[in-house]
Amino acid sequence: MSEILSELATAVIEGNSDDAIDLTEDALDDGLEPQNILDNGLMPGMDHVGVEFRAGNMFVPEVLRSARAMQSAMDVLKPLLVEGGVEMAGKILLGTVKGDMHDIGKNLVGMMCEGAGFEVKDMGKNIAPEDFVTAVKEFNPDIVGMSALLTTTMRSMGHTIKALQEAGLRDQVKVMIGGAPVTQSFADKIGADGYASNAASAVDLAKQFAGV
Amino acid sequence: MSRLYERLSTAVLEGDAEKSPKLVQRALDNGLGPKEILDNGLVPGMNEVGVRFKRGDMFVPEVLMSADAMKEGLELLRPYLAAAGAKLIGKIVMGTVKGDLHDIGKNLVGMMCEGAGFEVINLGFNVEPEKFVEAIKEHQPDIVGMSALLTTTMRSMGYAIKAIEEAGLRDQVKIMIGGAPVDAPFADRIGADGYGSNGPAGADLAKQFVGA
Amino acid sequence: MLSDDQLQELFDGVLHVLEYTGLEVQHKKARKILKKAGAWVDGDRVRIPAYLVKDALAKAPRSFTIFARDGNPENDIHIGPGRAHFGPGPTPPNFIDIETLERRPYVRSDSEIVATVCDALPNIDFCESLGTISDVHDELAASYEFATMFPKTSKPIVAWSFGKDDAEDIHKIAIAEAGGQDAFEKRPNYVHYCEPLSPLVSTVEALDKLIFCAKHRVPVIFTPCPLAGGTAPITAAGIITQAAAESWMGLVIAQTLRPGLPFFMGGVLSVMDMSAMILAYGAPELSLMMAGHTELAHFAGLPLWQTGGCTDSKTLDEQAALEGSLSVYFSALSGGDLCHDVGYTESGMTGSILQTVMMDEAIGYSRRITRGIEVTEETLAVDVIHDVGPNGHYLREQHTRDHYKTEFWYPNLCDRRNFEEWQEMGSTTMRDRVIARTHDIMATHQPTPIKPETEQAIEAVLAAAEERVKE
Repeated sequence: MSEILSELATAVIEGNSDDAIDLTEDALDDGLEPQNILDNGLMPGMDHVGVEFRAGNMFVPEVLRSARAMQSAMDVLKPLLVEGGVEMAGKILLGTVKGDMHDIGKNLVGMMCEGAGFEVKDMGKNIAPEDFVTAVKEFNPDIVGMSALLTTTMRSMGHTIKALQEAGLRDQVKVMIGGAPVTQSFADKIGADGYASNAASAVDLAKQFAGV
Repeated sequence: MSRLYERLSTAVLEGDAEKSPKLVQRALDNGLGPKEILDNGLVPGMNEVGVRFKRGDMFVPEVLMSADAMKEGLELLRPYLAAAGAKLIGKIVMGTVKGDLHDIGKNLVGMMCEGAGFEVINLGFNVEPEKFVEAIKEHQPDIVGMSALLTTTMRSMGYAIKAIEEAGLRDQVKIMIGGAPVDAPFADRIGADGYGSNGPAGADLAKQFVGA
Repeated sequence: MLSDDQLQELFDGVLHVLEYTGLEVQHKKARKILKKAGAWVDGDRVRIPAYLVKDALAKAPRSFTIFARDGNPENDIHIGPGRAHFGPGPTPPNFIDIETLERRPYVRSDSEIVATVCDALPNIDFCESLGTISDVHDELAASYEFATMFPKTSKPIVAWSFGKDDAEDIHKIAIAEAGGQDAFEKRPNYVHYCEPLSPLVSTVEALDKLIFCAKHRVPVIFTPCPLAGGTAPITAAGIITQAAAESWMGLVIAQTLRPGLPFFMGGVLSVMDMSAMILAYGAPELSLMMAGHTELAHFAGLPLWQTGGCTDSKTLDEQAALEGSLSVYFSALSGGDLCHDVGYTESGMTGSILQTVMMDEAIGYSRRITRGIEVTEETLAVDVIHDVGPNGHYLREQHTRDHYKTEFWYPNLCDRRNFEEWQEMGSTTMRDRVIARTHDIMATHQPTPIKPETEQAIEAVLAAAEERVKE
């Protein structure tokens, strides 16, 4: 691997957005392929962050800084990748379901997914099933992520999945859910494709869905 | 007449040292036998105290008040018992061994033994082996109790037992020992007859020795 | 802990946030009430001039009584300086089954267990459910919870509801026992709990409940749950300032509607763990921030809804004992008025009455310490010292007999027997004894029954509630 790509990985790990942008530009100037820069510079950096976070050596604010560095570099790379017909990691539509006003957990998932290279559209909180349906039509996501903090609003997730089914959109998206009271068995019960117990595992789940 | 016995038991249980001799007197006046008064009035009261203490429903100061009530009643009864030829429960000589100045535990055992109906001769603390020998000759006890709080003075117990043996008195007494660092293996090693882990256990052991 | 100057700075900080930043108030009627009172309303955003807040603080009582439903004065709660009271918390989804010791969803019969055990424990002063009932209609969990707990304890319940319909269900049951609304207002027998959102949002549900309480003079708690570093500033002073502003928005509305309404300032203040990504219930910062929050409340003349006796442990183990006991001790020291969440485990995800039983012991222990040392002629005991003299002992002294029951605290669960006796009694661990005591309470404890008319009221309320959710 070229030195510049390992420097880029380091910039991501250290959460240095300015360096990440500069090094990406430098790499492109050096004639490296965008796909190469993504796969061998940005991604290894972000993977390392994931490992360190799990080991307890990195903390949420640092992970978010890394995610931002990754995203800054991606802003440079994305148009070129699309031009080159490269398949992106994917698009995720996120929202806290109807009746629930808590969105710190969902925000965290959004930021971490962006760091993993996903394009994320965050609808915010208190999102009704029909609004999810409209947004799926508009935004065409690969994944729909739903969050709820309350045992009482959890069931809105089931209603939303039903609404997607009724609109004929269920098959074109993977549905993942999360939030403090949510469990795997609840995900199975309401017919979600997966459940994540925290933000880091939500990113893994999304990556798994996208096959990256 | 069982009502009088019951009232006497209650007086002991409640630690009423004024009422218990009065009730003993009343029982004697009513022509009840001294041995019956002891066995059916005073002793059941004290037994109940033991049960409650073990269960954690009574505390040391209450037990001592009961012991006082028992002692006062017994004091009055003693000449009548002797006259009737009834055997008294027994006599105990006790002391804290040489070198040891701690005698709160030994005092507690003494008071509890008194409560159980024993006559107790308390030799105090820092008692030399020869003092134990003299006391046995003088008081002719059934039981000798020895106590030590320090690991450094424990071995004085062994010396005292040896002295009693050498004086040819070992067979006429049961020897029980106690104190924080003392345990059953130590008692076996130095040739004591038994070990009590606390005040009530000491009183129980004494009763067992005399078959009461 | 905090100096007067520091408290004044916090106090001024709260007034500043309310006056210059303001809160989003999502409840239309509440905005109207605030505007009429003199607040500045701009769309959803409401800013409150400092004098209005001070006015509300002046109207709110520092001392008042929550009464036991059965008139047993021992179970009354007297709120006032120097008194800390303890009880469980609301709404975790899971519960530790007291027979299998497994974690499973919370069901209706658990409310009965929690209420019965709280009624029996000597150091638990009020009752909360430790879970959200999962085996009844979703919207009726709170109604069933109160209806199930109320007959099983005469200690005041801190009730919780989704909104005003079930708040009304609860109130109907409580006033049936009290003997009507008027009688209830004189002797309130429960407290209601409302939770606004951090940062800086008063939600429709929280304000619906608050307005209901003001209307019916139900003592009320208005308590946000901010996460330091997540939904509130990461610093202790910052989170205290924000949480107080969130709570005092409720105070202003409540005191405007019903001057003198008993109001508990709230705020469960803890950290968003930057590694585990949970709201930590066993963190030292929780105890520290809550102590600061308590001091600010008392400085402002309000009682506080405290937090303690909780843990991030998943089971009844050493971590649960350590985190729970230390936070109980700190709560007792800071003197927060109603200390809840005694029995929260797994970061508030699982309720455990076993944890509550273990903490009852820690509360007793802490209370002995906060009771302090009494110094009088009697307690100095110089005469007794003189009488006993060198080489005597105090076991038989009247002075000992007069004081041994009150001067010492006697444990219920901690084992102090000597080794032989401990062995004889089965070599039990703390965990064994906690479980045994819980089972023993369930097998033997008989709470005072409710009145027959209250039984009828409960039946009627639940039947009507079932009708309501059919539609």
